[in-house]
Amino acid sequence: MTALLNRRVIDPEALGELLRSGQVRRAPPGWPDSPGSPELPRAPRQLPLGVPAFDAALGGGLTRGWLHEIIAPPSAGGTALLRAALGAATRAGELCALIDPADAFDPAPSDIDLRRLLWVRPREPAQALRAVEIALEARFALVALDLGALPTRRAPHGSPDLNDLKWSRLGRRAERHGGAVLVLTRSAQAGSFAQVTLELQRGAVRWEGKAGLPGRLLRGASSVGAVARARRLSPSGPLPLLLPLEQR
Amino acid sequence: MRIACLWVPDLPLVATLRAEPHLARLPLAVVQAGSDLAEARSSATGAGRTRGASKMMRHVLACTPAAEGVSRGQTLAEARAICPGLQIRALSPERVRAAAQAALEAAGALSPRLEEKEPGLIHLDVEGLERLIGDERMVARELVRAAERVGLCAAVGLAQGKRVASLAARAALPDLALEVTSQGLSGGAFRVVPQGEERAFLEALPLLALADLISDELLHGLHRFGLHTLGEVARLAPGPLAARLGPEVAALHRLARGEDQGALVPQPLPERFEEGEELEWGLSTLEPLLFVWKALLDRLAQRLILRGLMAQELLLQLQLEGGGWDERRIDLAGPTREVASLLQLLRLHFEGQPPESPVRAVRLCVVPTREVLEQLPLFGPRGASATQLAAAVARLSALVGPGRVGRPVAPDSHRPFAARMEKFAPPPPPILPEPVQAQLSLAARALRPPRHAEVRCDGQGRPTLVISEGTLADGSATVRAANGNRRFGEDAGRLPGGRVVGVSGPWRTLAEWWTSAPISLDAYDLELSDGLLIRASRETASGAWWIEAIYD
Repeated sequence: MTALLNRRVIDPEALGELLRSGQVRRAPPGWPDSPGSPELPRAPRQLPLGVPAFDAALGGGLTRGWLHEIIAPPSAGGTALLRAALGAATRAGELCALIDPADAFDPAPSDIDLRRLLWVRPREPAQALRAVEIALEARFALVALDLGALPTRRAPHGSPDLNDLKWSRLGRRAERHGGAVLVLTRSAQAGSFAQVTLELQRGAVRWEGKAGLPGRLLRGASSVGAVARARRLSPSGPLPLLLPLEQR
Repeated sequence: MRIACLWVPDLPLVATLRAEPHLARLPLAVVQAGSDLAEARSSATGAGRTRGASKMMRHVLACTPAAEGVSRGQTLAEARAICPGLQIRALSPERVRAAAQAALEAAGALSPRLEEKEPGLIHLDVEGLERLIGDERMVARELVRAAERVGLCAAVGLAQGKRVASLAARAALPDLALEVTSQGLSGGAFRVVPQGEERAFLEALPLLALADLISDELLHGLHRFGLHTLGEVARLAPGPLAARLGPEVAALHRLARGEDQGALVPQPLPERFEEGEELEWGLSTLEPLLFVWKALLDRLAQRLILRGLMAQELLLQLQLEGGGWDERRIDLAGPTREVASLLQLLRLHFEGQPPESPVRAVRLCVVPTREVLEQLPLFGPRGASATQLAAAVARLSALVGPGRVGRPVAPDSHRPFAARMEKFAPPPPPILPEPVQAQLSLAARALRPPRHAEVRCDGQGRPTLVISEGTLADGSATVRAANGNRRFGEDAGRLPGGRVVGVSGPWRTLAEWWTSAPISLDAYDLELSDGLLIRASRETASGAWWIEAIYD
């Protein structure tokens, strides 16, 4: 049993409760746990983004217990990537929280299972970070923090509300409670406190129809992303993204 | 029919000790409610001896065994004179009501067919329970334990018929021993009258034991005839006895012969679980109230556990100074009976909306639902439980304000990028999760409310230049639906603007013309020279331009 716990595939807290309630009994001494014994199912450590290129570059997706940061200028697809992660996680049955201080979330598209999404609209940065902590403590699998309305440049020593101390604390909370945190920013905010940094750059806009004529349609945009930095992983090469626009 | 009788003797005393079990070993008297208890206490120390005589005329209703010499009916002054160290508690209707309801639920834990004759005296049908629990002694013992689990010390009688069962419960009274446990009181006792032995049981019972069941006039009449036990009554012929003492004695004669024909009239159990407490003085701060709530929630949780139920709604009722009641409904994300979480929800709710005046009484009501057992995953991290979710939603609501936490919902509206919130109540996780598929698409970041912009157009009315009203940091931006709230994103964000290099539209929306706020817009998708993609719209009536969203 100890060996099983050391494998980090069983939640010790859950196992403890099962043992106390009698639903599971302790194995007798000498219980076979040799390499030849059947392999137990492993816990999914990763939450896929649903974007194959990024999932491959991230080794399967977002990692539980880690802080991830998406740095993208407006219209480069940062929000699309954030929504893709929320959509993939909620459709997989995970509970997610979106901390949205800009009140910018659009619930109309059907890419996210909204029944499993908690939408929080804080009024200020300090509230937003505290809301992330509360969501992590409540064991939400994925907590997304949308800071897409922040200035494009980071203050030299961080703002009083979003300084290094806050990001460090957020990272520790994520690790302690086992939830993945995904932050969308316009410029680097979490810095090295984020275990994974994704960067996006704008590409070409896709139009259909001739300019100046009626009936011209905006079909979407393209952008280029990359895993700029990731713990235990190599930075990826350019990852092209196609962002079609669903007409409203 | 085999009937059990659950009787809580001295209900006012037991109700008091249920709330304050540490008093069980002390000399304690429960007196009639009336004047302020604090004044009564000060008079006990000599400080209030000059107060009105009417306060001194309150009578003792019940007392603990440690209050030697004190008995029911004595005045407060007499009781204090006999026992100088006597602790005094005024009768609390809230406590008595909760204790009586708890007794009803204890009985309901064994049998759904029960009848409450009076608060603290319940008859229940135990026919057939021996197949579930064991013989009749085990059934009676289980009933005593059920009462103890909700903090009550009860006497239980089990016999053929209601009145014999009541007498059996009274016969168990000498075996009662008030003991203190973590849940309240224990030390209940029981008496089982086996089938066919009713007459033998009743034979030696003194008629005084029936003082509550028969009239004083009949009792005196029987005594005048030299009859002092039920056995003596049973040996006489019923006709001549009834001719002399009236028809009431005929029923007594049948009872004395063990022929109890009173039918059980079952009644439904209450739909709400309530616990309440009157406070000695008005409280306006949170900390003292937390202690009161904790005790109430502990007792409620024990009652819920006993019935195998959980709370699906929690109602907090606060009686304020002046007599008014402040009622609040606490949202629970899922069924729960965890005291810590419920206490936290109460705390957060109280902090968010403190009452207008001091609180004089507290009542907690729980609407129960069937028990929901949480399945813990063995392989993999433990997800959020319903209780944790409820607490998290409450904490977030307290942090960011009401109406800013919930499940996002797209309303049935033609208004662009409309959204509203509903209660967050996620369904259980699927047994087989859906396969993850890529659904990456350009997303709209709504600007709520939309920002005003100046837009230049060419001769055909197509936008060529977007000039925003400065940055949002200086607060100069005009909003279409001003709500007055200064928001996080507005402090630092910059409105998009620049030369238009790509246009799609107009897409006309004419809707909700039947309301006071009709929608008449021409919407455009615009690509600006700095690469931004925005959704802008022009009001057809006024010609004003608004930026609705940024594509990202």
